[in-house]
Formats: sequence, structure tokens, C-alpha cells
Amino acid sequence: MTSETATIVTENLIKRFGEFTAVDEVSFKVHPGEIFGFLGPNGSGKTTTIRMMLGLLTPTSGNVEVLSIPVLEQPEAIRGRVGYMSQSFSLYNDLTVLQNLRFYGTAYGLSNKGLKQRIDRALQMAGLEGRENVRTHELSGGWRQRLALGAAILHEPEVLFLDEPTAGVDPLSRREFWELLYQLVADGVTVFVTTHYMDEAEHCHRLALIQRGKIIASGSPNEMRNQGMHGQVLEIAPSDSARAVKILRAAKADGRLPLESVELYGSLVHVIADGVESLQEAIALELKRSEIESGRMAVIEPSLEDVFIACMRD
Amino acid sequence: MSIRRVLAVVRKEIQHILRDRSTFVLVLLAPTALMLLMAYALTVDIQHVPIAVLDYDRSPTSRDFVQQIMAGDDLDLYAQVSSMEEIETLLMRGEIKVALILAPDFARDISSLRGMPLQIIIDGTEPQSGAFAVDHVGWRAEEFLNQVLSSQMGAFGGSQGILQPIDLRVRAWYNPSLKPRVDMIPGLISMVLGFPALSVALTLAHEREHGTLEQLMATPIGRAELLLGKMIPYVLVGLVNVIIIPFLAMLMFRIPFNGSFIVFFLLSAAFLFAILGMGLIIGVFMKTQPAALALSFLLIFFPGFFMTGIFFPIASMPEVMRLEALALPGTHYAIITRGVFLTGVGLDVLWPYGVMLVGLGVIFLAIAGLFFRKRLG
Amino acid sequence: MATWRKIWSLSLKEFIHLRSDWWLPVFMVLGGALELLLIGWATSRPITNLPLMVLDHDRSAASRSFVVSLENTETFNLEDDVYDIVTIEEALRLGEINAAVIIPPDFSRELSSPAGRPTVAVLLNGAESIPATAALRAIEGVTREMGDQILVQRLGLKAEEFEGFIPSLRVWFNESLSEALYTTPAEMGLMLEFTVLLFAALSFSRERELGTLEQLLVMPFSTLEIVIGKAIPVILVAFFDFVLMLGITHLAFGVPVRGSLSLLLVLAFVYLLVELSKGLMISVIAKTQHQAFLLVLMVGMADFMFTGYAAPVESMPQVIQWVSNIIPAHHFLTIVRGILLKGTGMEVLWPNVLALIVLGLVIGGYSMRFVRRSLS
Repeated sequence: MTSETATIVTENLIKRFGEFTAVDEVSFKVHPGEIFGFLGPNGSGKTTTIRMMLGLLTPTSGNVEVLSIPVLEQPEAIRGRVGYMSQSFSLYNDLTVLQNLRFYGTAYGLSNKGLKQRIDRALQMAGLEGRENVRTHELSGGWRQRLALGAAILHEPEVLFLDEPTAGVDPLSRREFWELLYQLVADGVTVFVTTHYMDEAEHCHRLALIQRGKIIASGSPNEMRNQGMHGQVLEIAPSDSARAVKILRAAKADGRLPLESVELYGSLVHVIADGVESLQEAIALELKRSEIESGRMAVIEPSLEDVFIACMRD
Repeated sequence: MSIRRVLAVVRKEIQHILRDRSTFVLVLLAPTALMLLMAYALTVDIQHVPIAVLDYDRSPTSRDFVQQIMAGDDLDLYAQVSSMEEIETLLMRGEIKVALILAPDFARDISSLRGMPLQIIIDGTEPQSGAFAVDHVGWRAEEFLNQVLSSQMGAFGGSQGILQPIDLRVRAWYNPSLKPRVDMIPGLISMVLGFPALSVALTLAHEREHGTLEQLMATPIGRAELLLGKMIPYVLVGLVNVIIIPFLAMLMFRIPFNGSFIVFFLLSAAFLFAILGMGLIIGVFMKTQPAALALSFLLIFFPGFFMTGIFFPIASMPEVMRLEALALPGTHYAIITRGVFLTGVGLDVLWPYGVMLVGLGVIFLAIAGLFFRKRLG
Repeated sequence: MATWRKIWSLSLKEFIHLRSDWWLPVFMVLGGALELLLIGWATSRPITNLPLMVLDHDRSAASRSFVVSLENTETFNLEDDVYDIVTIEEALRLGEINAAVIIPPDFSRELSSPAGRPTVAVLLNGAESIPATAALRAIEGVTREMGDQILVQRLGLKAEEFEGFIPSLRVWFNESLSEALYTTPAEMGLMLEFTVLLFAALSFSRERELGTLEQLLVMPFSTLEIVIGKAIPVILVAFFDFVLMLGITHLAFGVPVRGSLSLLLVLAFVYLLVELSKGLMISVIAKTQHQAFLLVLMVGMADFMFTGYAAPVESMPQVIQWVSNIIPAHHFLTIVRGILLKGTGMEVLWPNVLALIVLGLVIGGYSMRFVRRSLS
């Protein structure tokens, strides 16, 4: 992106709760029309950051601008122009789908015909037509998320803030949810989303990895895959993957094998090292010594998860 | 301030209340139900007090006397006993609350004006029954003595009430028989109408507990709009009860309603405004529902019970408490209910209290608004 | 036993909740204690400072001394001189006075004649019956005193021998007739019931509302274990509350413990369990915490009526008297009053104890079945 003004700018955001620093000098820019992902494990500061960006939490220091509005000084100015899906499901469980939508629509200043139109559109988008009078608590997780998204876009916001929108939702629903997001982006909405699902990170235009309040890596998924870590990934399918990991990690600790990291991926093992291709034989030998068949070994493209774990272990 | 947004909140709150019938009925009718329960519990006219009589004299005069005393429903003759031990046992067992002992020379002492040869023993663990019995027996005994005296001293010519040189003619305005129930019930009404304040406090804490408050904060809905929107449905709930309760009071307890209903309605709305303002303040500060409940009890209901002059007259309170009582909406409203039900006064007398209530309401709302931030931290 | 360990782990979890949710237990206990203190204090205070107006048409030495006697009672606060009845009537209408006394112009003349009876009019503000009754009593007292003096003269009795024509009074169990002795034990029982009910009622309804109940139900706990696990913190808090209130009533209001303290504690414990079962039933009936609160309030208030808290049960209609027999609080109150004030023991109280136990078993059994059914 070039000389366009960034939709969201955060500068050195810090939030401390007593002794604990939840967000430690976080700075990034989100460009118009992109999906920006904030990726990190639980407790890494994602929710705290998003809340500061929305003006719901006062930073200990730092600055936030959304749509060129200084959020710290004028939080209410962005209210009608941004949409928010908070982390915990925050629609009213005891109200019906329609009652929820109507409430939020009116809250955002819609009325009469405009309100009806947007509600119809939201229902259509969420796939809840015909179920307007169902009580929200009767919907399953996936449908609830779609409803919450629908409620968040009723007022056609320019920016969408989503905090772990697909937590606890099945993969199929998750994919469908992201389809909806793409549609919105195609319509010109800028999306800021936090997640701890690696596969979702792949769907973002740009990412920032956050761990313990600090951004440890950022860039597009491709950039991160290629430059995010040292070394390449060797995938092994050993006969006993759990033990294999233990053995190889021990070898790394002893210094016998120059490995960056060894990770368990189900029944597979990923070994990351610089020039890992040349280490294949040494690795196979190490495993053989403990009576583990190394099985199939191949160098593969690093996934974001590999990158992330590598970054985290640093 | 957008009325539309306020109405959106009002509508949502009403939808919450209506979500299922049990909640609706409970919330809507809680004040009325409470009033009925409390009215029965707290305002019973004492009667049928069980009493045992130990008559050492056993003369026609003493038997006559006992008969006169027992006439009517006030006392119930449980047993005529022949020893103090029996009285002791009965009192211990709680089978009697009062015992009457006539001295062996009852008849003689009565006619020779040597005082009242009568002893009353009351169960001190129930002073109300005891005091009642003492009054009753004392009065009847005086009557009896008067009769004896007047038949003896016919010379004084039809002198009823020889024993009382000063004749007290008592008239109790607004409540001729001075039944506690009559004036308590307006007081109770003022107490139970404070009930929606609890619901208001709870609903704010509820949103906090369930995380929906965060979502609300991200919308353009302003603080004042949110607070007002939460308050209004409960004003309505209160007003429904304002309409129902007087009817029930008149029907079931025969409480008079001497004032104007419109005045009552208006002033009740002012009261609801004030007391719900208090509820909002609690809701703004407390993060969980149990905490909101606990604080409501401490700040709204306890003082409502003690300090508003319903059960304990304000005149008898120390200066400090009297001042504090002024800050309680219940104090002013109790005066209003008493005025409308019993005294039959109108706005010309009650307007200052209405003004106080509105003023308090504005102050409370302002405090709530001041401390309610659209911020999580 | 494995079951006890499971139960204990549940209780531990409840205690941890309690620590972060400490408002409710603290407020309940402190609030209960506070209310106890307030009620005891308020009921032990005499009624004083009642505004009184006197319209003296006579203005004689006798009438003046009458007025002075009225003033000297602690009950009244004499308003300024009044010159006409309209002022009094207006003051009554506005609720500014509790009582007014009107002395007739022939007051002293009648009193000095051998058979005269002046009529003193008393107007009371019946809109506040408690002060009005107190005012009336005070006025009657002053009247009687003056009247007795006159009587002694007229009947030629010897003043020293005269005791007045009122029956002599003995008060048992409560010599000072302190109302606090009557109200505080009742208050204690009531507060205890409310505390237990509220806690028990919240136990399940809160978890249901916050969504954590499902979690609990998929764990390998039997219904009984869950119930007992939740009950333990409630019982501990409530029992502590009871002992605290007992201490307060004893130290602050001089309520004695004339009977067996240990018996009282045991029976209090039994009572706790009974109320606990009631609370549990409410807990599964109520769908939200809000509902639970309201239900507890209703049930508590209804019980309130049957305990004879404010008025003796005999004064109530037969039906209610009958029903009071199946209200645990009624029996507990009898027990409390009996042990504390009368010094009675099992020999007198056994019907109440039996009733409590039977009620406990019935309610307990019923509620267990209820809980089991609604949780599965």
C-alpha cells in the first residue's frame, strides 16, 4: 500500500495492570480494505489491544487513530463508523434473532425502512431467514457467530473489529464465516481480526504475531513464511513420534545436532534447522539408535504454524 | 440525546422482562405480592390472647369479674387453674401468654376500695400480647370497679367513672380504632414500591456479568441514554403496582383512600424516579448480581424499613438519623402515602414532598451518570 | 472414602468462588448483624419527642400543672401556645403533631367540686398509630396520676396506703419488658433463614445462568455429592452467622441464654439443614438469579408471617394458625425463645423438635428428588 492514509494506526501502545504488562509497545498500521490478523495464544494481549483500539480501555501510554480520529480523545466519534464483535458472545441470549438485530440497528441510528432493509440483509447474509423469531440461546455456536457478525455490520461500518470471532466454532462454519468476511472486504470494509487459529491467519492480507504483549513478527503470510524463521522444515513420519521428539530434542540440547526446533504434529515430526536437508542422515541415525524407524522424510514448505512456533521459541 | 436510542433500550429491557411468563409475573407483581404478605405479617390486630385464671377468692363477685373480663374476642380463657405451679407450667410451655390471679379477699377488697386485688403475669417474651392484655384487663377491671362503686355509692348519682375524676374523651383522627394495620399499610406500600430499584440494579450487573455491556459500550448509545432506558421500564412496572395496590388495600384490608388518585399516581411516579435512581447508582458500581443484591438490601431496603418513619417514628430518632432520613426517598413517600390514603390531603399540602422526590431523583441520576463510564478500565 | 474426597473438592471450588464473590456472604452476614443491632436498638428506645399541642381554656393552677406534667414526660415535645382549635385541626391535617389535648374552661372548677368530672378532649393523629398509641398512654398516665390524687382526697383514703386502682403487674422472662428481648431472637431466626435460603437458592441458579452448570454435570459427580459439596460452604457461613448474631444479641441487648446453649446450637444446625433444602428447591426452580432472589424474598416473607415475628400467631385466622405448624421457622422461633428466654429444654420443646425433624426429612427428601430430576 502506498500513500493512502492508514485506516488504523497504533503507536507504542502500552497497557499495564498493576505489575503486569499486558500490552508492551505495540505499533502497527492497518491499510484500507485489508484483513489484518492479530495472531497469538491466549493471554497474549490481543483482547486488551483491540479494546484500546476501540476506546473501551484507556492505554497506560501510546496512541491510537482509527479513520484519522484520535480514539483516546474522542472515542465516541468512531462509534457509528466501526463495528465490533467482542470475544465473549455478546448478544442477548434470551431475546430472539430479530429482537437483537432490531435493538442494535436502532442503537446504531437506523430506523424505519432503512432499518428493515439492513436487517433483512443481515439475516440473508447470516443465513437466518425464516428463523427471526428463534431465541438466540437456541441457536448453535456457528449460527450465533453469524448473527453476531450480522449485528455488527447493520450500520455498514467502514471498519470491523472482530475479537476471536470463530472461537469454539466447527471448521465448516468457520470457513463459511470467513467467506462472509471476504464478501465484506470486497465491499470495501477494513477488517481487524484477532485469532489463535493458524489456518485463519493464512486468510489475512497481513499479520502480526503477538506473544506476551509484544509483537514478535509481522508481515503478509508469504513474507512470514519465507523470512519468518531461520532454516527449513523437515517432516518425518517416525514409528513412535512422541519418543522421536524427545530424542531429537535431547540431541539438540546436547549440541549433537544443530537443530532450531523439533515439534510434534500429531503422528508427524517437524524438524527445523538451517540446511536441514543435509542433516537427514544424521537425524535418521539418531532415531535408529533408539530403535525408531524414521519413516518418510521430506523437506516441506513451512506453514505459518511452524513459523509461529519458531518465533515463539526464540 | 436520541429519544430513539433511549426507546431502543427501553424496548429491549421490556423484552427481557417478557421473555417468559414466570419472570414477567414475578417482576411485575413482586411489589404487590410482598405488600400482601407483609401486611398480613406485620399488622395483625391482637386478639384471642390465651389466658389462665387463678381465682383464690371464688366468690360470686370474683366469678362475675372473670366473666366480664373474658367477654369478647380479645382474650381466650385457656384454663381456670388452682395453683401457681400450673400457671408456671402453662407459661413455660407457651400455652398461655397471660395469667390473672385474683387475691383471696378479692370481693372484700374491691368493695372497701383497698386498691385492685388483682395480679397479672405476662409472658415477657411476647410483650405485645402482654401489653394488650394488661390494657384490656386494666380497662375492664376499672369498669368493674366503677360498677361496684356506683352501686355502693348511689348517693353520688349515676356516677360512672368515679375512679376517673378526669374524663378523657379520645378521638383518633383518620384511624378511629387506632388499629396499627390502617396506618402501617400505606407505609408498607411505600416500602414495596421501592422494589423495582432492586431489579434496576440487577439488570446493569447482569449485563456486566454476561459481557453484553461491553458490546453496548461499543455502540453510539450514550451513558444517559442507557441509564434512562434501563430505568423507564421499571418505572412502568412500579406504576402498574401503583394502580393495583390501592384497590387491594381497600378491598382486602379496608384501608380508606381519602385523597385523589391522580395526585397519588403523579407523586408515586416521582418516588419511583428517585428510588430507581438509587438502584441505578448501585448497578453502576457493583460488578456482579449478588453484590448488587446485597448492596440494594443494605442501602435501600434496610433504611427503608427503619429510617423512613414507617415503623419507628422519626421524631424519636437522634438528630443525625433524622437528617439521613431526609435523603431517603422512602421518608417523603411514606408521608405522601399516609396523606393520600388516610388524611386525604392534596397537592397543596404534599407538593414539597413531590419536589423533594424529583430533586433526589435528579441528583441520583446525575451521580449514576457521572460514575458510569463507557470504559472497561 | 473416595466420595468424601470428591465432595470436598467440590466444596473447595465453592469456597474459591466465595472468595472472589465475597460481597454476598459478607454483606449478608454483616447486614444481618447490622439489622439485628438496628432493630434491637430501635425497639429498645422509648418513643420521645412527639409534638404535642395543648389548648388550655382554663388557665388555672390545676390546668397548668396538668400541662407541666405532660411536658415532663419524655414522650412529648410541647409546641408553642395554641389559642384556637383551628390551629390544632390544621396541624393534625398536615401531620405536624401526633396529639393534642384540649382542657375545658371548667377544668379546675369541676375538679374542686366533690363530684365534678371535667372532660378533657384528646385528639390523636391516627395516621401514625404507633406514636399515637404511645401518646395516648402517656396522656392516660398523667391523667391517672392527677386523678388518683383527687380520688384520694374525695374518698378520704389515706394517701400512703393508696396503691392506685390498677392491677399489679409481674413480667416473666423479661423483667425489663425490653422489646429487644422479643424482637431480636425473632430477627435472628429470620436473618438466618434469609441467609441460608439466599445462598442455597443462588447455588444452582447462578451456575445455570452463567453457563457453568453444564460443566459441572459432565463431571463424575453424583447428584448427592454435588448437593452436599455445595451445601457445605452455605452451612458453614450460616452457622457462623448464627453464632455471631447470638453473640450480638447477648452482648448488645442482654438477651440471656437461660437454657442449654449446646441444645440450641444443635437445633440451629438442624434448622439450617431444613432451610437449605428449601433453598435448593428454589435454586432449581428459578431460571435466573433474578428469579431466585424474588422467590427467596417471597418465601422468606411468607414464613415471616407465620413465625409470630410481629404479632402472635393466635391473633391470626385459624387457617393460618394451622398452616404455621408446617413452617420450620415457626418451630425454630419457639425453640429459640424457649431456650434463650424461658430456659426450657427438650421436655417442653420436644413437639417442636419433632416437627422440625419431620419437616426436615420431608422437605429434604422432596427437594433431593426435585434436584435430581431437574439436573438430569
